[in-house]
Formats: sequence, structure tokens, C-alpha cells
Amino acid sequence: MRKLASIAAIMLLPLSATACFGGGGGGSTTSGEATGQVTYWLWDANQLPAYQACADAFHGANQDVTIKISQYGWDDYWSKVTTGFVSGTAPDVFTDHLSKYPEFVSKQQLAPLDDFVSKDSVPTDIYESGLADLWKGPDGKRYGLPKDWDTIAVFYNKKMAAAAGVTADQLNTAAWNPTDGGTYEKIIAKLTVDKSGKHGDQPGFDKNNVKTYGLGLAGSGGGFGQTQWSMYAFSNGWQFNDQPTWGKKYNYDDPKFLETIGWWRGLIKKGYMPPLEKTVGVDGGQQLGAGNYALLTEGSWNTGALTSLKGVNVGIAPTPIGPIGKRASMFNGLGDSIWTGSKSIPAAWKWVKFLASPQCQDIVAGKAVVFPAITEAVPKAEQAFKAKGVDVSAFTVQVKDKTTHLAPVTDHGSDVTAIMTPAMDSVVGFKSDVNSLVQANKQVNQLFQ
Amino acid sequence: MATTLKTTTPSAHTATAPAPGRQISWGRVAAWAVMIAIILITIFPFYWMLRTALSNGKSLPAHSSSFLPADFTWGPFKRVFGLASVAEAQAEGGSGANINFWLYLRNSVIVATVITAGQVFFSCMAAYAFARLRWPGRNLVFGLFLTALMVPPIFTTLPNFVLIRQLGLLNTLTGIVLPFVFMTPFAIFFMRQFFLGISREIEEAARIDGAGHIRIFFRVIVPMAAAPITTLAILTYISAWNEYFWPLLVATDDNARVLTVALGVFRSQTPQGTPDWPGLMAATLVAALPMLLLFVAFGKKIVNSIQFSGIK
Amino acid sequence: MQATTQAETLQRAGPAKTGRARRLARGDVIPALLFILPATIGFLVFYLWPTVRGFYLSLTDYSLFGLPKFVGLKNFQQLVHDKVLINALWVTLEYVVINIGVQTVVALGIAVLMHRLTESTTIRGAVLLPYLVANVVVALVWLWMLDSQLGIVNVILGWFGISPEAWFGNSALVIPTVALVNVWKHMGYTALLIFAGLQTIPKTVYEAAAVDGSSEWRTFWRITIPLLRPVLVLVLIMTVIGSFQVFDTVAVTSKGGPGNASRVIQYYIYEQAFSRSHFGYASALSVVLFVILAVVAIIQMRVLRGGESDLD
Repeated sequence: MRKLASIAAIMLLPLSATACFGGGGGGSTTSGEATGQVTYWLWDANQLPAYQACADAFHGANQDVTIKISQYGWDDYWSKVTTGFVSGTAPDVFTDHLSKYPEFVSKQQLAPLDDFVSKDSVPTDIYESGLADLWKGPDGKRYGLPKDWDTIAVFYNKKMAAAAGVTADQLNTAAWNPTDGGTYEKIIAKLTVDKSGKHGDQPGFDKNNVKTYGLGLAGSGGGFGQTQWSMYAFSNGWQFNDQPTWGKKYNYDDPKFLETIGWWRGLIKKGYMPPLEKTVGVDGGQQLGAGNYALLTEGSWNTGALTSLKGVNVGIAPTPIGPIGKRASMFNGLGDSIWTGSKSIPAAWKWVKFLASPQCQDIVAGKAVVFPAITEAVPKAEQAFKAKGVDVSAFTVQVKDKTTHLAPVTDHGSDVTAIMTPAMDSVVGFKSDVNSLVQANKQVNQLFQ
Repeated sequence: MATTLKTTTPSAHTATAPAPGRQISWGRVAAWAVMIAIILITIFPFYWMLRTALSNGKSLPAHSSSFLPADFTWGPFKRVFGLASVAEAQAEGGSGANINFWLYLRNSVIVATVITAGQVFFSCMAAYAFARLRWPGRNLVFGLFLTALMVPPIFTTLPNFVLIRQLGLLNTLTGIVLPFVFMTPFAIFFMRQFFLGISREIEEAARIDGAGHIRIFFRVIVPMAAAPITTLAILTYISAWNEYFWPLLVATDDNARVLTVALGVFRSQTPQGTPDWPGLMAATLVAALPMLLLFVAFGKKIVNSIQFSGIK
Repeated sequence: MQATTQAETLQRAGPAKTGRARRLARGDVIPALLFILPATIGFLVFYLWPTVRGFYLSLTDYSLFGLPKFVGLKNFQQLVHDKVLINALWVTLEYVVINIGVQTVVALGIAVLMHRLTESTTIRGAVLLPYLVANVVVALVWLWMLDSQLGIVNVILGWFGISPEAWFGNSALVIPTVALVNVWKHMGYTALLIFAGLQTIPKTVYEAAAVDGSSEWRTFWRITIPLLRPVLVLVLIMTVIGSFQVFDTVAVTSKGGPGNASRVIQYYIYEQAFSRSHFGYASALSVVLFVILAVVAIIQMRVLRGGESDLD
């Protein structure tokens, strides 16, 4: 019998060893109280210092709540969040994205903030053009508070532009169209240089041996195309869905969209844009810095990174004017959401309230990384950028002229991505015809039936 | 190449030198050339890991064809062990994210050790019962266990994930270890083959001396099986250490993350960005190092174990 | 002495005829149960139950949030029309053919070379090195070496005037690239298994062949390979089944892209389950994989006639 007991003990030993270590994760302690530790996640390493500063300021005023910030790279971030939902270890508060949050709402993973907002009389009209309403679900409840917004612009190599005789004014007034690309394509052609020094608009240009591409490429953009093609599609009169938010139909089969993509990918065939396979795992910003791209359409969140590239002087121009007579840019906003499974939602709310308040957003604005959601804080960001020698008017003009278009806010985000990314990769890689997007769109719309 | 080798003794076991007075055949030279090429192809990537792990990320493009580290620096290793400040990290192209490799290393050690200890021990016991003990239904149950070999791991992975979640063991080391710690069909099969080959007389002798099965097992059988047990332990340890899919699903939380999963941390920190290559290579070196060290210590044994495992 | 005589007496007494022998036979049950208990727990909880549950889940809609909802054969009706599934199977098949084809030939070559040239454990060890390291480590190192911009492979190819390739970005190259990376990882291990088999072939066979005037090449084809059949069959079965389940390398390098060019079946299942939250559908997909692997295994067993050795 003693033998049996000792054997049983030995058998249980391995298990107890693991139980001693590696306990469960998750941050918060007390349930339902407004104190303790609040875990906060974000993905942009460039914004980490800004939010750490906010956390320090917050802790100064709320000694009984500590904020633990974790940054995970974009590739990792969303799968960690969704796995966290599943395994019960999601963060208390996390940076949320307009395109991702609808699915979380339908899976009931986000805590509605309305009661908190009304109890603490939080003003929701201080945010830029309707940003606050974008975070309302189909049930009308609020699932996030706005944090920042971003638009897209054209970053360009000033020296190359000057050498090719392209002026800032020409860039600012460039126009494109699906037929011949307009003055925009002419500029791109001028800025493309092949290995023997010929420019894209000169006879004898060898499109198979290009040294500098006039327009850079950062992947196919999948179904989102924020920095890749959305600005062209919007300025051609196209919309993602049948309504601005919570739509139930996508329009990837719209002729206006198809002709936009057709023109855009055609730039590759002309040698003005790199082939898709050359852009896999390649950093567009680095390419701009290395002189391999002359122009690159990128987001305002990368302003700091792109303007501080060594060895290249980068200018920023607004997106080109489209057939509808106006320019366009996707308007995306990040917000902060609370997880329903958080162990201390009241404490999490305190942090979210602070994040959405002028005090924190002013701090963030001053660090010149993003544009804060609060309208009054925006000039502070502009000044902070100016102090670093960067003129961000190309971004803000979109908001001023009201030429922004929302990122798609619909349910089934992950399925749409899973369908559209390979479809768009295939089209931009010239493995399928542009019309294959019609079929992809059918599949996407089936999700909503 | 062919015919000149006919006259050297075609021994299956020794590499003979050419007979005295005979010139070295071209065939042999060619064969050695190929062998050396193969060894180079096998070893070079390891060298390249080291070379990159000692390079400055921002200097990589400029030195892409150099075989020496680009701007030698210990920075990547510092980043891996969380010793670099955010500023230092970003200066060399890293991200400054929180990385705690000592923790992941510890987790990997615990997971691999526990799995190996449990799996080998329990499988041995079961194998002995199947091989040497007589009881009704023995072969039927063994056959049943073997059918588990037929089921592809992915098929049981999904429901196992659900089970572990229901047990509340997600993001714990216990959760990672549990499905593997009791047995695998291969381990039982492997040990049973060996036990089948043990002569009955030794057991009979011990039993007549009054020993119970348990004592026979521990005092007699196990010492005899030291070699295959070692083989199994080595194979299990290597496979447990290198496990990726299951720990990826079950444990992403820092407390329970293992090295293989943690390597993903060094991937792109920005969408469309490039990874911190030096940091990543330093991390892979750290992840690979324990196995390599084990190899340096037990090399011959490992080589022989692997060969032995093939002869079932 | 006395013990042996008693054992002999027992034996001569015939099987289980004496009361003592009968008691011994039944007496094995209790220790046997004890011995197989942990393994049985493991088998029931983590192999049998998940297999049953897997089949059940394949008949449900399950998003991991909330409870599984029974939907009958809906998932299976859906997967018949799933173009991405068809693509996944094709892509996986392409991978298996290239991977196994190249790996077997290369491993055979290495084994023969080692057999002919040297007994050295150092060389065997060097060749085994890639196997000791995790799949993800191998994948990451090669991802870096094959980087289209800065990777050393493109640099070296450039010396020979070959223009740089986007190994993981080109949809025609991505699967062969992943396959070859895995060949690199496993060729040493497979070579060792074959090498062990080579060593079991008796010298006399080669000597007889030499006496008959058979050339090196002919000896290899007519004698060595047929005698290696059991080992080769074992190796083929193990590697093919494993190959169908490739995941780690793809997950870390191409992630199914570009487009769907490397979306192998296990990666697709993983995506459906964990990225797109269609756990029920993913379970149905794994049923499909299960059936395919079972069929493949049976075909292999039949076609290759692995049980027999031509030596007899």
C-alpha cells in the first residue's frame, strides 16, 4: 500500500510542478471596484511613450489605480486580443479599431459605456466630426471613446522631385482618372527612373529594369486598402457599403471600384510601381529612404517615422484629385474599449475617461505622433509637428475640406478580410482578372445573409 | 565514378583507404566533395544566425554581402533579454517592446521536462503492462491505443483546446503540458517492442523470489531498459522543446509563453514593416541553444538514439 | 539453481494448468490496471474524448463565444463548395510531393555517402543538427536568408548572375521554398534512419555482388535499395503523414500567402478556428483531413508492402 501511495505521489508530481509556475494571466485584482491594476494594450510602438506619459499623469491623480501598458506588434495584436477573449485573459482596456470592433460587439466582448458616460457627464461633442458616433453599435449603445484620427497623404522625396522638375504645387494640384491617370500619373512617370537613368516618360525607358519606382507599393491592401487604393476609389465616387456604418452590403463589384483597381494595378505593368511580390516583407518607408520609391501613399501615423528617415528629405502632399472633382482620404479613428470580462470595469472606466479627456489627448498631441480626436487638441498636434519641421497640412486639409470617407464599419470583419486579402493579392499580382473581385464580393455579401 | 571502387573491399562497416600504391579514385574525391558541400549547407545557416545576431539592424542593408557581422554589437542579445532601453532598441532598429526571454526560457524548460518525465514514465508502465503482464483484453486495449496513432494531431487539437479552456487551464503551463504528459501511442509502442524482447526467465526468477510486479518493474526491468528509455527521453525532450502549434493556441500570456511562441514577438512591430532581424536571430539562437548544448553534451548518444529509433 | 529448476518445472507443467500458474495469470490484472492507469487516463481524456468531440463539433456552429449550436451536415455541405479548401488540398499535395520527393532522394544520398565514406559520429551529428532545432527557428532563419532585399541567398545568387527572387512573395515559388526549407530540416534525420538500415545489410551480400562483377551503381539499385525496403517504407510513411500536416513553417513565413498560394490545409483549419471563429467548420475540415490521411496511410501500406524484407 505504501508503494502505491508513493507511486501515486510520483505520478502527481509533474502536474504539481507545472501548477506552481505559470499561473493564469490577466491583470486586475478586485472585482467590480474602481481600484487596482488596469491592463492596457496598444500596437504602435511610436505611441508608447505618449501613452506612458498619460498613464503617469493619470496615476498621479488616481493613486489607487495603476496602469500596465503592453505593446504588441500589429501582426500579433488582434490575434492576441481575440485569443484573450476566448481564454478569458483579454486586457481590461485596449486600443480598438473601427473595422474590428463590430465583430467584438456581436460577440458581446465590449462593455457598453453609456451609463458611465451619463453618470460622469462626459462630453461627447468635443470630438472631431462625428467620431464619437462611430463607436455606437447597431443597438445605439456606445462601445468606445474616440482617441485619435488619421488620414492619408502622399510622402515624396523632395530631392528627386526637384531633380525631375516636379514642383510642390504640381503635387498639390495633381489629378488622376482611370483612363489615362491624369497629371498624377504623369508625375509618377517622371519620377520613375530605370537603371540606365531614363525616366518613365522618356523614350527608351526600360520598364523591366527600374531603379526607382515613381509610386511605391505596400502590399495589395486586401479589402481595406487604407494606404494603397482607398483614396483613388473614394475620389472616383465609390463607397465601401450601402451605408456609412453598420452596412450589410459591400460594393467591390461596383464598376467604379473595378476601374480604379484596374488603373492602379496597371501602373505595375508600366513599370511605375513595383510588382507585388517585391513588396512582401519589405518596409515601404525604408524603400523611400533608400531611394527606391519616389512617392509613397502612407498614413499620418507614420509621419514621424517617414520624416526622420536618414539621408532623404521627405515632403508631404495631399492625395490627388479624382474624377468627382475632389480629393479623398480614408478617415479612420482609433478608440479605447473596455472588455466585458474585465475584473474591474469601474477602474477601467476611469482610465478610458482619462484617455478620452483633453488632459491626456493634449499630452499625446504634444508628442507629434497622431492627431487627437478632440478638436481643440488638434492645433496642438499641428504645432508639435511644426516644431519638428513637419508640415501636416496635407493631412488636415482633408478634414477641413470635408473630403474624408469612413473606414468600413461592419460585422464579420475577419471573414471579409480572409476573403478579400487573397482575392486582392491575386488581382494585384496579375494572377487573376480585375473582374474576379465580383465573385469575391458575392462571397462577402453572403456573410450578411 | 563507379567501377574503380569495385576492387576496394565493399565492407558495410568500414571506410577503407585505397590499397597501397593505388591513386585516390576520382569517385572518392567527388563523394567527399559532395559530403563537404552537404555539411556546409547544413552548418552555414547556424553561422548566419550568429553573424546577424551580432549586427546592427540599421547597418544590415549596407553590409548585405559581408560574411562578418554588420557593425558588431551586443545590442540584439540585450534586446532579447530585456536589457536594452527603448531608446537603445529603437536606435538599432528594434522596437523597445517588453521582452522577457528568461521567463520564456524557464517556461520551455518546465514544459519540456515535465512532459518528458511524465510521458516516458507513464508510457513505460503501460508498455510493460502490455508486454509482460497477462490480463484479459490486453491485446484489444493495446490495439485501441494504437488507433490513436492514426488520428492526425489537428483533429484532436481543436477539441483539446475546448477542453483545456473548460478546465480553466488556458494560459497556464499545466494546460500546455496536460495532453502530452500521460502518454503518446508512439512511446507506448516503442517501449513495448523493447519489453517484448526481454527474456521471461529473469522475471520468473524474481517472482519466485517473492517479488511483486511493482518491484520487478522498478528493480529489474527499468534498469535493463536504460538504453531505450534514454532514447525515448531524448526524442521526447527534443520534440516537447520544439513544440509550437499547441503552445501557440493555449498560452499566449507572458507567464506561460514558451520560447518557440515567443519568437513571434520579434516579428513585424508595424504593419508592412520589416522584422528586427538581428533581434530575431539572437532570439532564435537563444531558443536553439539549449538543444545545441544538449547535443554537445550527449551528441553520440543522441545520434545513436535516433538511429535506434528507426529500427523498431 | 533452484529457481531455474522450479521455472523449468512450471514450464513443463504446461500453460496455466497448475493452480499457482492460474493464480499468477489472474493476479496480473490488478497490477496491470495500476500500470496502465495514467496512460489510460491520457488516452481517454486527450485522445478518445476529443476524437468523439471533434466529430460532434463538426456538426455544429461554434464561435467559442457561447455554446455550440447543432446544425447537422451544414458544414459538410458548405465545404464541398469551398474553393479555398480545394486549393488548400492541392497546395498541400504539391508541398508533400516536392518535400518528400526531394527529401527522400537527398537523405538516401547522404546515407549512402556516410556509409561509404566515414563512420564518424561528428559528421553524423553535424548532419543531424537542423533536426534538433524547432521548426519555427528553422523557418525564421530561412525567412531571413531568403529575404528578397537583404537575404544572403539572393546575394550569393547575384554572384552567379542570377537575379534576386522573392522566395516567399512569388506565388509560384512559395510552396517549393517552404518544401525545401523543410527538406533542409529533416534530411539529416531521415538520412540517419536510412543509414541505420544500411548498417543492417550484411557484408556478405556486397561481397557476393563484387565477386559477381557488379558495378557500384548496379549493386546500389539491384541490391541495396531492395534490401532497404522496410526502412524506406517506414521513413516514407512517417514523413508523408507528417508532411501533410505542415503548419509551423507556413505560420511563421508566408502565412498562407501570397493570395492563397501557401494556404495549406492545417493552416486553413487554424485560421477558420481561431482567426475567423468558425470552430465548427474548422472541425469539419479536420474530419476531411483525417479521412484523407487514413486513406493515404492505407494506400501506402498496400502499395509499398512494407512488412516484408527482401532479405528473406
